[in-house]
Amino acid sequence: MFGPRIVGDNGIELRPPTLEDYKLFTDWQMRPEVTRFWGPRFTTDTVATAEERLKRHLESNDSVSWSIAYGGETVGFTGIFDISWTDRDGETGIFIGRHDLYGKGIASEAVRLRMAFIWNELGLHRTHNWIALANEGSWRANQKSGYSQIGTYPRSWFRSGEWFDEWLGEAFPNTFPAGKLPSPWRDEGHPK
Amino acid sequence: MALGGIVIGKRTTLRTPTEDDLPSYSRWMADMRVRRAAGVWHQPAMPATWKERLKEQAKEQRAVLWSIETEGRLIGLVRARLGSLEGPPAAHLQHFIVDPDQWRKGYGLDAALALHRYFFDYLDLKRSGFELRADNVAALRIAERLGYTEFGRGHQVHYRDGAYVDEVWLVMQREAWDERWAEKEREYLPLGKAPR
Repeated sequence: MFGPRIVGDNGIELRPPTLEDYKLFTDWQMRPEVTRFWGPRFTTDTVATAEERLKRHLESNDSVSWSIAYGGETVGFTGIFDISWTDRDGETGIFIGRHDLYGKGIASEAVRLRMAFIWNELGLHRTHNWIALANEGSWRANQKSGYSQIGTYPRSWFRSGEWFDEWLGEAFPNTFPAGKLPSPWRDEGHPK
Repeated sequence: MALGGIVIGKRTTLRTPTEDDLPSYSRWMADMRVRRAAGVWHQPAMPATWKERLKEQAKEQRAVLWSIETEGRLIGLVRARLGSLEGPPAAHLQHFIVDPDQWRKGYGLDAALALHRYFFDYLDLKRSGFELRADNVAALRIAERLGYTEFGRGHQVHYRDGAYVDEVWLVMQREAWDERWAEKEREYLPLGKAPR
């Protein structure tokens, strides 16, 4: 399914993806500037199959997908995938497709909004993720919203002459920083 | 790949699955002892569904399924995903199920050794990995014996028996296999050493 619109700070929000967003995703995943830690930089996806992918994700019962918008413009995507409704666990992911916007805190804010939704609306018990250890910005963004490292997978992939390990993380509802709850969950009068 | 060929162990043999194996597969997936120990390959189903699943498995490009037998009797199944595009060539064990009535007879270790000999001695893979429920002591013991080491631990990952159980992530590098098993576990003698 697609997640609802969640408005965060500094012009950042999560919103349901559109067909135009899916076309952007296809383009971004082919670019060297944003695929150092995201592979394999080839795909069976085309602009023509974007609608099919959108429908597949929309109808999925074990995932929630969002586009990330910054200043009203789509700049990436995030979500939770492979949800096990028995274990109440799922894998989260994030991708910022606009490399010119790295370092502006967009990922940290998107993760905060995503995790708040997961804990307050999906009733999950745990989430987990695998991130390139060298992609410090990404795992730090997750740490700010309650992720902690639970292992390191050695030599996960090879890029430009060196091996990259992966940072394995997990989060639970009680590891989300209480003071960072976004609207609407923090709003006075919001049912708890 | 899809359906695995014959790999001979000392007491067990991995072989190509057939439709005759499917009733046993279905029985194991419905067995709470199996379900407590690990995730099932598929949920229990009618025979026609199992036949369809076997057909689909045969079309798989990257995952291989074997039946495990001993003395001509079917006692388990194993399924592994092979190959890696971005990392070193690797195997990822997805399911390793032994009939609960055949547990504690040493079949698991024997079949696991044969399987890993196939991975490292035949396919020349560089590593193998899998996940285990942290309280699956028998499987952990086999993994440790083979040369696996823990690289991560997820907390409260699987829900069953009214509570959560942790998950252990394990990997064995080719070097660990070579050090421990390469001399003992060869399918063929190197040509230069074969008796003439």
